Amino acid sequence: MARNKYDIDESLETPFDLSHLKRSLVYIKRYSKQMIAAFLLSVMASIISLLGPELTQKAIDIAIPNKDVSYLIWLSALIAGTIIISSLLGMVRGLIMAKVGQNIVYDIRSDLFEHLQKLPLAYYDSRPHGKILVRVVQYVNNVSDMLSNGIVDIIIELLNIIFISIFMFRMSPKLALVIVSGLPILVVIVFIIKPKQRKAWQQVSNKTSNLTAYICENIEGVKVTELFNRQEENKKIYKRLNQLLNKVWMKAIYVSNLVWFAVENISQWVIAIMYIVGIIFTAPAVSVGVVVAMGTYASRFWQPITNLANLYNRLINTIAYLERIFQTLDEPIDICDAPDAYDLPAINGDVEFKNVSFEYEPGIRVLNNVSFKVKAGQSVALVGPTGAGKTTIVNLLSRFYNVTEGQILVDGHDISKVTLKSLRSQMGIMLQDTFIFSGTIEDNIRYGRLNADFSEIEEAAKTVKAHDFIVETENGYQTQVNERGGRLSQGQKQLISFARTLLADPKILVLDEATSSIDAKTEQLLQLGINQLLKGRTSFIIAHRLSTIKKCDIIMFIDDGRIVESGTHEELMGKKGRYYELYTAQYDDNAVVKAVNA
Amino acid sequence: MFQLRWIWKNMQGKRRFFVMGLILSVTTMSMMIIIPKLSQVLVDDVLKGGQTDKMFPVLLAMCGVQLLRTTLRYLMIICLEISSQHMIIRIRNHIFDNLVHQEIRFFDRNRTGDLITRVTGDIEYVRHTCAWIVYQFTDSVSVFVASIVFLATINLGLTLLMLSITPLIAVLSWRYIKRIRPIYAHLREKLSQLNTVAQENIAGYRVVRAFVREDYEIEKFSERSEQFRKANLTASYKWQFFSFVTNIISQSLTVIMILAGGLFIINGTLTYGELTAFSGLTWALSNPMRNFGVILNDLERFFASAEKVIEVYYAKPTIADRHDAVNISGNIKGKIEFKNVSFSYKKGQIVLDNVSFTIEPGETVAIMGPTGSGKTTIVNLLARLYDVDKGEILIDGINIRMYKLSTLRKSIGIAMQDVFLFSDTIDGNIAYGDPDMPEEDVFKYAQMAAADQFIRKMEESYNTIVGERGVGLSGGQRQRISLARALAVKPPILILDDTTSAVDMETEKYIQHQLNNNIDFDCTKIIIAQRISSVKNADKIMILENGKLDIGNHESLMRRNKYYREICELQNVPELEKVAFEA
Repeated sequence: MARNKYDIDESLETPFDLSHLKRSLVYIKRYSKQMIAAFLLSVMASIISLLGPELTQKAIDIAIPNKDVSYLIWLSALIAGTIIISSLLGMVRGLIMAKVGQNIVYDIRSDLFEHLQKLPLAYYDSRPHGKILVRVVQYVNNVSDMLSNGIVDIIIELLNIIFISIFMFRMSPKLALVIVSGLPILVVIVFIIKPKQRKAWQQVSNKTSNLTAYICENIEGVKVTELFNRQEENKKIYKRLNQLLNKVWMKAIYVSNLVWFAVENISQWVIAIMYIVGIIFTAPAVSVGVVVAMGTYASRFWQPITNLANLYNRLINTIAYLERIFQTLDEPIDICDAPDAYDLPAINGDVEFKNVSFEYEPGIRVLNNVSFKVKAGQSVALVGPTGAGKTTIVNLLSRFYNVTEGQILVDGHDISKVTLKSLRSQMGIMLQDTFIFSGTIEDNIRYGRLNADFSEIEEAAKTVKAHDFIVETENGYQTQVNERGGRLSQGQKQLISFARTLLADPKILVLDEATSSIDAKTEQLLQLGINQLLKGRTSFIIAHRLSTIKKCDIIMFIDDGRIVESGTHEELMGKKGRYYELYTAQYDDNAVVKAVNA
Repeated sequence: MFQLRWIWKNMQGKRRFFVMGLILSVTTMSMMIIIPKLSQVLVDDVLKGGQTDKMFPVLLAMCGVQLLRTTLRYLMIICLEISSQHMIIRIRNHIFDNLVHQEIRFFDRNRTGDLITRVTGDIEYVRHTCAWIVYQFTDSVSVFVASIVFLATINLGLTLLMLSITPLIAVLSWRYIKRIRPIYAHLREKLSQLNTVAQENIAGYRVVRAFVREDYEIEKFSERSEQFRKANLTASYKWQFFSFVTNIISQSLTVIMILAGGLFIINGTLTYGELTAFSGLTWALSNPMRNFGVILNDLERFFASAEKVIEVYYAKPTIADRHDAVNISGNIKGKIEFKNVSFSYKKGQIVLDNVSFTIEPGETVAIMGPTGSGKTTIVNLLARLYDVDKGEILIDGINIRMYKLSTLRKSIGIAMQDVFLFSDTIDGNIAYGDPDMPEEDVFKYAQMAAADQFIRKMEESYNTIVGERGVGLSGGQRQRISLARALAVKPPILILDDTTSAVDMETEKYIQHQLNNNIDFDCTKIIIAQRISSVKNADKIMILENGKLDIGNHESLMRRNKYYREICELQNVPELEKVAFEA
């Protein structure tokens, strides 16, 4: 059952760490060549742009006083040259980094999506889908710049600081010490702010995710909301979520902006102190020229620190998203191929359950020691009250979940030892929940077998009696459909979904309430098709309309996670047990009809 | 610019913060000039001039100005954040409001993924513009203007010469805008497609697993992801090139300054001190020029997104309350009339063709018909999820268009075929129609819908959170919760759209018994069903086939309606045939 809804923050166990950053190195490393190139280009560009002031100086000191116009022009041309070259280098870096940034995002997104495809159903069952979506798209977009340009910039700024420090210390160690003395104070402040800042950005990512989840759900369930007149109430909820996001956002803004505020003020004080020290205490050992130069260095020393402070803010922000991405990547894959898994060879379709027990939640048994054998080609009907465990049996057979105890064998192969793909690709599962992807009707049917040609698709649609209504739509098989739209009725969706299953041509067929929304007449016609279809396949059918399962080879009555009865229709009717009761329920009604007519 | 006016409109209430923010931006930028000035005093007077007594006041002034400037700057950010947050909250709320009132056709037209893109990524750009780009702009403008004024007083000729490159920048920017606009529109379309593929994959995850289509999905997603990457790169490359050009042009000011300034000095029309002033302020002209490029670029992105946001913001539902809507006092009795109603979802594909019928208050009416015949459509029209093309629908003798939508829908309770539950507690789902519903009512109607028992078996009983769409519950369980939800609003018109199709027979019988005997409010019942057993006791049975209705009761339909007779034969049984013969 679900653990999370729109107004519950997803808890996060991992404390703040640069470990997230370290982990993202995996993605960055692949582009280390480009990163290094970008870095070198930046360094070259800054060195070249340093030549500019030098040349300007020459012009003012030499060319102009000497009224040397040609030298002046020459110098101007040189300046223009440095500008063009450094801009060019800057552009090349920009082009390289744009590509790196986008590639990193692409890589992270691919990994995330691939991982999501392996995550168990329980992962999706237990949280609003908007919360998953926001990670795949928005969060990943948010980290791109930091992981590409941000990293290079951080290194460059650090180098800047180191270079300027060297110059400062060589010129006047004492004054340099004064200038650097601001750093510890800054570090202390940053450390005090950091936990709050980090929490604030985490909260922002949480609240954003809640807000997105809520609006996604409201878009998908809009019909219910409108029918139940819930608009006002939902607006209130949305407003509240909005306000909560606003609150944490403002908090993040208040806290984060303290960092540059601190840097700029500290630097000013440190520079002032440096002047005092320079003028009063160290004079005349330190010349006026040195003090002036140190003043310039001081601002040049603190400028990269201001830049770093801003980068740091972005970094903290990015980490709040990164950790969510990594958290999803760390989500354990419960159901995956065993290390020594082998491909299930082409099967005949024998199925055996050996003492299978299952619990969704520890301690709550849904299936209790279920054993049965089905021979290839047999059809099995699972009947029983809602929630008895019928769907669970077919879920286990398709390995949507792993059994808690016992074994399931297909053609004698334990299904936990074969690859998922080879198992499921030989099974056709028609679920209670149909899902229509946005695209054409043809695409939706082809989902069952991607390389099917059109005649096969048409054939499948004809077998399930979907062909007639499909050709009546305006573009026939090419009609655009989607999940939410009013274009298809529920019954039509089921028929399309049925055709999809058929097309897959499975050896084992699972029909879980496959025809519940289809009208009786279509179902009857469909039945003929199904009978055809069932030949040579093992099938498991869950249906509440007993007329549809009467002819099955084995009927199992499931209740409370056990097989209560099992046998053919005739056998079970003869037994006068639970199945008999259920079946005769219909006849009671007929008795009522009779009475009315009489 | 409409988009900018729209933003201004939504800032209502906090506009003063916005204006304050802009004023602070101009103020703090001007203050930037003070500190270098003070440093100059310090160097010239204190260090070189030896006026040590001036040292402390000057240094204090420097620190004081810095403190003041950074404080004001901090306030500026807060002001702009307050106003932009206010604006974005208003826009978000308005859009949400608009979405939940939108008619269903709107959702037929728009992909979920695209709507999500609009309310997430696109809105984020709008916010970004107001919180960030705006002050980048005022910052740049104020520095630019201030330094022009300052430099012009020193030497007009040189200033004009330096400004002579601005038309070039303007022309290039103009061309850039024209080129980048479609690129950004394309980029956001790709984002929307990426969202759509991911959203559908997540929503349809069971189908993906069942068909082992993970690889196919990954391929599909990678393709979108790759297209998004490419679109991003195209935009980036264009931007990098444009920024390269503006960089060169803005920095060429230095060249103009030194070359022209030098010649002016040689001519004797400029002094060294003046040239130094120019040289010291070149950045104040070139940086804003470069920033204009950045701002322009971001603005284009903003326009691409704002356009999409505005579309949803102003999308008007055609199904809405009329201003002359009637006010109904008291409860609706539940008389329903369809008069010559025709309807089609798509032109030319008629679903209902001139359908007429009347249902008296308190009656139970069953609707049957083939898949896709329009049974659910009748319900959709009655609740005005769609409006009829021709004819009219009356409730208690009043055209439903004359009711307020809320009045109309409040009087109709529907248990839908396609059950949608919200990721909320079971209690919250059953009480969806009325959040203040007393708990006893929730229990009572859950019992009536045969849901109480299985709910109480769950770990947290009624407080168990169900997944979106009700995942984790079986189809039958979902249907029963949905039925309880419809009953709990005690509607004068109760509609059950194939509500028990996934429920087992015994439970279905129990539910039918409850519905027939134990409903403690007066209601007209419309039952859509596939099983004869569910419909045969109804007062009227309507068979809907090819857009046409045949109305009767069990016996009369047995006699004259082929479809109905066939269904009876199919589903049940020799006994029924006998009944038919006897009749």
